[in-house]
Amino acid sequence: MPLTTVSNGRTYDWSYAVGRAAATGTGFNYPQTMCLGNDGDIFVANRGNENNFGQRVNRVKLGKPGEEELLAEFFQWGEGDGKSHWPFGVAVDSNNNVFVSDEWNNTISVFHGNGTFIRQFGKTGSNDGELLRPAGLAFDKNDHLIVVDSGNNRLQAFTNDGKFLAKYGKAGSGDGEFNQPWGITLDSAGNMYVADWKNHRVQKLSPKGEFLMKIGEYGVVPAASDAFAVTYLGPYISTTPPAEYPKAGVLNHPTDVAVDTDGDIYIADWGNHRISIFDASGHPITNLMGDAQVMSKWGQQSIDANPDMMKALRRVRNLEPQWRFCFPTAVEFNPKTDEIIVADSQRNRLQIYKKVRDYVDFQANL
Amino acid sequence: MAKQDDIALMAHLMRRAGFGASRDELEARVAKGYEATVEELLNPESQPPVDPYALLRYQPAALLPGGQPPMGNVNYMYYLVTTKRPLQEKMALFWHHVFATGNSKVDNYDQLLEQIEIFRNNGMGNYRDLLLKMARNPTMIFWLDNNQNHGNAVNENWGRELLELFSLGAGNYTEKDVREASRAFTGWTFETKIPRLPYGRFPWKFEYRPEDHDDGEKEFLGHRGHLNGEDIIDIIAQQPACARFVCRHLYNFFVADEPQVPAWSLEPPRDPAALDAMAKTLRDSKYEIVPVLRMLFNSDFFKNARNKHLKSPAEVVVGTLRLVGGYDIPKPGYGELSMQPSYMGQDLLNPPSVEGWHTGSEWINSGSLMARINFVAEQLGDQSLPGVQAIIGRLKAQGTLSPEKLVTACLDLLGPVEVNSDTRKELTDQAKQWGQLSWDSVPNAQTAARRATEMMQLIVATREFQFA
Repeated sequence: MPLTTVSNGRTYDWSYAVGRAAATGTGFNYPQTMCLGNDGDIFVANRGNENNFGQRVNRVKLGKPGEEELLAEFFQWGEGDGKSHWPFGVAVDSNNNVFVSDEWNNTISVFHGNGTFIRQFGKTGSNDGELLRPAGLAFDKNDHLIVVDSGNNRLQAFTNDGKFLAKYGKAGSGDGEFNQPWGITLDSAGNMYVADWKNHRVQKLSPKGEFLMKIGEYGVVPAASDAFAVTYLGPYISTTPPAEYPKAGVLNHPTDVAVDTDGDIYIADWGNHRISIFDASGHPITNLMGDAQVMSKWGQQSIDANPDMMKALRRVRNLEPQWRFCFPTAVEFNPKTDEIIVADSQRNRLQIYKKVRDYVDFQANL
Repeated sequence: MAKQDDIALMAHLMRRAGFGASRDELEARVAKGYEATVEELLNPESQPPVDPYALLRYQPAALLPGGQPPMGNVNYMYYLVTTKRPLQEKMALFWHHVFATGNSKVDNYDQLLEQIEIFRNNGMGNYRDLLLKMARNPTMIFWLDNNQNHGNAVNENWGRELLELFSLGAGNYTEKDVREASRAFTGWTFETKIPRLPYGRFPWKFEYRPEDHDDGEKEFLGHRGHLNGEDIIDIIAQQPACARFVCRHLYNFFVADEPQVPAWSLEPPRDPAALDAMAKTLRDSKYEIVPVLRMLFNSDFFKNARNKHLKSPAEVVVGTLRLVGGYDIPKPGYGELSMQPSYMGQDLLNPPSVEGWHTGSEWINSGSLMARINFVAEQLGDQSLPGVQAIIGRLKAQGTLSPEKLVTACLDLLGPVEVNSDTRKELTDQAKQWGQLSWDSVPNAQTAARRATEMMQLIVATREFQFA
């Protein structure tokens, strides 16, 4: 994959990677969603595993490549206030308080930005204000919390202190209907974009929840018969990809969505191991496949401390499987830096691209 | 209303060719017919596959679990419990018994799961092709040291087990054949993989290195030439002993317990005529597996083998979880659940050696028996589970239950389980202490439901329940 992708008048430059596989400390453990805080720090909700470690939200300060810093960890596995079983959605309000959903306990927990527990709300059920497997979270401009109430196949809006305000959508595959939705984002006008996971599409709803548009249709990116399967569910690496690869416009279990300041839409095409980019009217532009050719800072530290790993790495014939996304779950756009941040879930890292505004292709025979 | 004999026979088929079935499913299958059910089982593509994306949404760590349990077991258990293609999954388990490869050495559940996926996708295909896939499978290559089998320094581990445990059985080859087969597989290895730090696990990729292959002349089972690995597998497949060996495994797994594999060269098969017929079918079909399974499940020797097979721990756990229901989502606690076969002596994805698990009565010791009984009793005692509710619903539909009727109905709905007169008397004596059960008021119905689950808990503790 090229480090710079040029397509349809847009340029995306791979910038750097952050993280490594870690159940605690500097790294991630199967991120499900993430959210940019008001000061540009990233909050990542990690799912963990059945040994009951890895579950947590970590707050990481981003900067230039190599400047990342772990600031806080909270919402680890356990019973009681401030503890979790299945962390899923994360969102930050205007006071920089962090709201996190627990998909198993059907609750929303609230923390100060430093990880101190404040309160919790939410009750299992399907009545107004009740939750069933709450997934992605987002705040609107009024500081109302929008919850992707996944098990109930709807969105619900709450006040900042947890009072029910409204609900949108129902189970189904029609317009405005959902099938186990996952992530959510709001654009600057307050329109809601929802990753309608099992309907293999993203739906755009107005601030009042009216259906506006749907993006994408079900499809699996084809793999060549001789392709190397990085996992038994992909991604697939091949020197001779099929002609229609990477097949724009189709989605396989999309998990998250982001919108940039130009209205372009970024979709975490989870099952196809890529970020699919669409313009504001839903036409496909290009795909980012993962390009982590440079080791992350924390990743390099792991290798430096384990010389056998470096010895092995130097004997590897093709490192492309390491560059590529493997089930990317979440995508964020930082309007202040023009960065596209991708949670590369199975690789326990973030891959960060930059949308380049002033890219000029030098017209000479290089 | 289905006849009781038909239900019992269908239950037998579904226990062996799958992991049991609910009474609703058994009745539906009886209505469809025995042979039609066999055909459906033999054509797994007629049913939808397991949804791996649901597993990964809730338990993402199950995809690349590394070397530490239980996330690899969570992955495997999820397939076993939720599959709608029971025979395909049962055949994958069968080949896992035969080509036993373990995490104790591989230290990477990812690659054991990848091997299971090969069994899932090819286990009902052609045996010769599957054997070749195993020869090229990096997990198997690492497990049996073929990556250390060099043209100038032969390692016989793979070559020996290929003949002894995967194809012919002891007594059907010589030490020279082991040596020559091993020479033929020199150079069959894998590329260096991307190491686990810092981003988690990556797979191996098979690699044939001609410069490390001994291309000299070899003589193997009477065949002479510059033999390579694929030639060895073709020669193996020509041996009459090969079809008999594979079919004895199938007979042991699906029909009735045989002695352990190392004793096969010493002890005759339980049913030589059945084995002859199976081996002929396998040879005639050029090692296609489906014809021999079709012949097996439709045979009298299979139909008459009810309760001649001691359930493996995997069959106990998976059969119970599928019966009681409520495990469609791999919810918190699934890790502990998926380790239950290990506590009963069958550590899935980690067999004790390349010989696989010893089956039959060797599954049982005082500890493993208690683990079986406690696990099944705990599940059947949980009235919140939909399958338990369904059983209680059927009992309720029978109206007032005398002690004798309670015992008969519970035995029926848990299998049918066939017990001897002593066991039935003990169960009935216990039921008599509870008296007649009725459902005519809320407290009575609660008492009746509780007594019914207690009766089922007693039944699963019987000797007879351990057989399938």
